[in-house]
Amino acid sequence: MGNEKYAILPCNGMDKEAGALARETALRLSARQAGEIVCPVLYHRSAKKYGKLLESSPLLVIDGCRTACASNLAKESGARITRRLNITDYLKGRGIKPGKSLELSTELLDETHRILEELLETDSEEGKAAIAADFTAPLEYETFTQDKYIFRVPRQGFLFNENDCWARVDGTRARIGISDFVQNSASDFLFFEPPQVGAAIEQFGEAGSLESTKTALDIISPFSGTVVAVNAELAEAPETINGDPYEKGWAVELELADFEGERELLMDCPSYLGYLKKKVEREFHKKERE
Amino acid sequence: MGVPRDKIDWCPEIDYDKCDYCMECDEFCPHRVFERRDGEERKLVVANPTNCVVFCRACGKTCGPDALSFPDKKETTALIKKLREELVQDG
Ligand code: SF4
Ligand code: SF4
Repeated sequence: MGNEKYAILPCNGMDKEAGALARETALRLSARQAGEIVCPVLYHRSAKKYGKLLESSPLLVIDGCRTACASNLAKESGARITRRLNITDYLKGRGIKPGKSLELSTELLDETHRILEELLETDSEEGKAAIAADFTAPLEYETFTQDKYIFRVPRQGFLFNENDCWARVDGTRARIGISDFVQNSASDFLFFEPPQVGAAIEQFGEAGSLESTKTALDIISPFSGTVVAVNAELAEAPETINGDPYEKGWAVELELADFEGERELLMDCPSYLGYLKKKVEREFHKKERE
Repeated sequence: MGVPRDKIDWCPEIDYDKCDYCMECDEFCPHRVFERRDGEERKLVVANPTNCVVFCRACGKTCGPDALSFPDKKETTALIKKLREELVQDG
């Protein structure tokens, strides 16, 4: 978390044990001067009250359970989430199943120390792993150029198939999109045909299609799963993919069916970068020959 | 995929009863999978099947008469996984 102060939006903590722990974590973070609390009830009633704080500070959302009320609240009012922690997921990783009681057991109170340490210790790899990356977390890229084209590939956190489509995984969810290579070779997209929300998609099956000024293509899903969301922004502005294929230009969000079983058929970021370089070289040599 | 490409059976198959040799597929695919055979009865063939990108089906969309077909996705995935396991076992 570094020295940056967060606006901390926690679960209100009045429903379940995991929620109470979310609330407790937020209180302790604020006691340690790591951030300022956004009360979810007041925020819901009047988001304006926190306008200034949210404009000037990155937002950390702490959800208690998978209903993720706090995250949804932030999304509904258009706030940009910088970091997210889900207590239930965190506890699951530690082999603990939270119950119904609102009075925190000593076992769970012990966990708050650990969570705080991990949240405050940015450099610890363990901490990063325990707190799942959010889809809105900023990315770093590797780039290379060929002629007038610049190709970008994220440094980490993405998996690719050989069809130049990516998946960014967060817990049991993944966002799917196309790589910079497809974007560059297809040129401006004019149309995105999304799959149905609720549809089941196979690994390497189609997850929507795209039309550009030059061509039509399918998005080949790196994973199987159920479509839980499609990027509505692409209906209005499909060219978003050209400008930002890995973040704003995501196409589909899936609830994953078999992450472990399927990931072995995919490439991580460095492997894809190597694969892409070779592919680009081949294509440009071919063009020179022709 | 961690498996030699020539072990994976994936490429388009041309149904010559349907194909009208419009050559749209060949024009579309950048990987030299197809080859034109001027003067022969079958004026287009799948000459380099291993150049085809596994799980790509893009040229199929360009084919008006729907003359191109592809292997079953699930079977291919299962085969790749099996081959991978065998490779791991053999060291
Ligand atoms: S499936 Fe894709 S790679 Fe294979 S021949 Fe068709 S366009 Fe080319
Ligand atoms: S696009 Fe279809 S009809 Fe045209 S040449 Fe290819 S296979 Fe034949």
